[in-house]
Amino acid sequence: MKRYLCILLCLLLAACASNPRLQEVRVLADDAPKLAGFNDLSQRFRDTYQREQPYLSAAAAQREEAIDRKRHDAYPDFLDLYSAATTYLRALGALAAGDTFNYGDQVKHMSESIKAWPDTGLTDRHVNAYSSLVRLLLRFATAREQDKAVQAMLREGYEPLQGTLDAMATLVRYFNKNHDNEQRIVLGMLEVEIPYADTPRDRLLAALARSLQQEKLREYRLLGLRHTLAAQNIDALRERHAALYRGLDPQPAAGAASSAPPATPSAFTQGALP
Amino acid sequence: MSLTAALPHDLETLADSLSASADELHERIMRGIRQQQRLQGGNGKAPAPLTHGAAQALFENEVALRQQANSLYVDAASHSLEGMGVALPELLRLAAEAREAIRRIDRVKELAGISADLLAVAAAIVAARPEHLAAPLAGLKKQLAARHARESA
Repeated sequence: MKRYLCILLCLLLAACASNPRLQEVRVLADDAPKLAGFNDLSQRFRDTYQREQPYLSAAAAQREEAIDRKRHDAYPDFLDLYSAATTYLRALGALAAGDTFNYGDQVKHMSESIKAWPDTGLTDRHVNAYSSLVRLLLRFATAREQDKAVQAMLREGYEPLQGTLDAMATLVRYFNKNHDNEQRIVLGMLEVEIPYADTPRDRLLAALARSLQQEKLREYRLLGLRHTLAAQNIDALRERHAALYRGLDPQPAAGAASSAPPATPSAFTQGALP
Repeated sequence: MSLTAALPHDLETLADSLSASADELHERIMRGIRQQQRLQGGNGKAPAPLTHGAAQALFENEVALRQQANSLYVDAASHSLEGMGVALPELLRLAAEAREAIRRIDRVKELAGISADLLAVAAAIVAARPEHLAAPLAGLKKQLAARHARESA
């Protein structure tokens, strides 16, 4: 009996020492909502014309319409990038959290089938110990399987996710530059026109314009910060994903290639775009 | 004009250059406006004051430059100009020269001419119409060369 208890204890300890990799993967997946900033900024990029329009001349508005169409055409691709990245991260998180590895029902079924054996001399206490042993065994076994699955997903998803995040970072840079030009068109128009509204008759106009100017300055400054934050969030996610990838167990079959991940993960995805 | 593949990065570089030219033009416009104000105040003889109409016309060019830049940013983002390109280094050199000229030009007419030529070059690139590139490019080169000649004279 003592020996059984010892084995039970060993198994318990093994099962309780939860895998730090799974923990890290869960933390990484929990950060997926931080990519939402990219989504917001894509929408803002798409709607540039709407905001610019009041400040454009008729000729400029006509030119802008063509650009507006291009922005709208490109937008679905941005969405695809975003949902690909978040879906992958959510799936990875679900895998690491064990959502897809629920053996609870099977364990219950096993303990019930033991109970159903008559005259085996097993008491309820034994049955309970056995079923918890089975549960532990299964948890241990599934934990090993789960880790393997998470590793496979990290390995297979490495290049696609890095490439996707890379493209998202590049796009945020474009969004930001587009935002800068929008800002300079809107604020520039006010800046050029306000000095000429200097007659007594224009006082009200000048006051309203200057008030709008202050408001717009605040809006654009805030949006500038949001672009920076979105870029930082994408970078941080990419870094942590790369770190997890570097920490993967070396693959026995594939050998050198997989055990030495590239030092600069973005090197082969550079210029990768939707 | 040799046509090479335009990578997103090239489009971005060109767009950056156009945005910078627009920045320079804006600085120049605001300088002219301030001079105009001082002139109205009655003190000093500013070299190139800007009437309201002239300021609006120049700002229109600035807006158009920014629009061309933004158009290139979308192209870079959607990769739609793949295969369509221009001799980027030469364009960038010319654009930088034009930017420098915009900074130093005093005469409003000359300023309008150079910014309009730069704009036409940008528009031809953005519209992926190399056949429309030659004329404004030649005009821009001529204007810049004339300036060089005057400056060294």
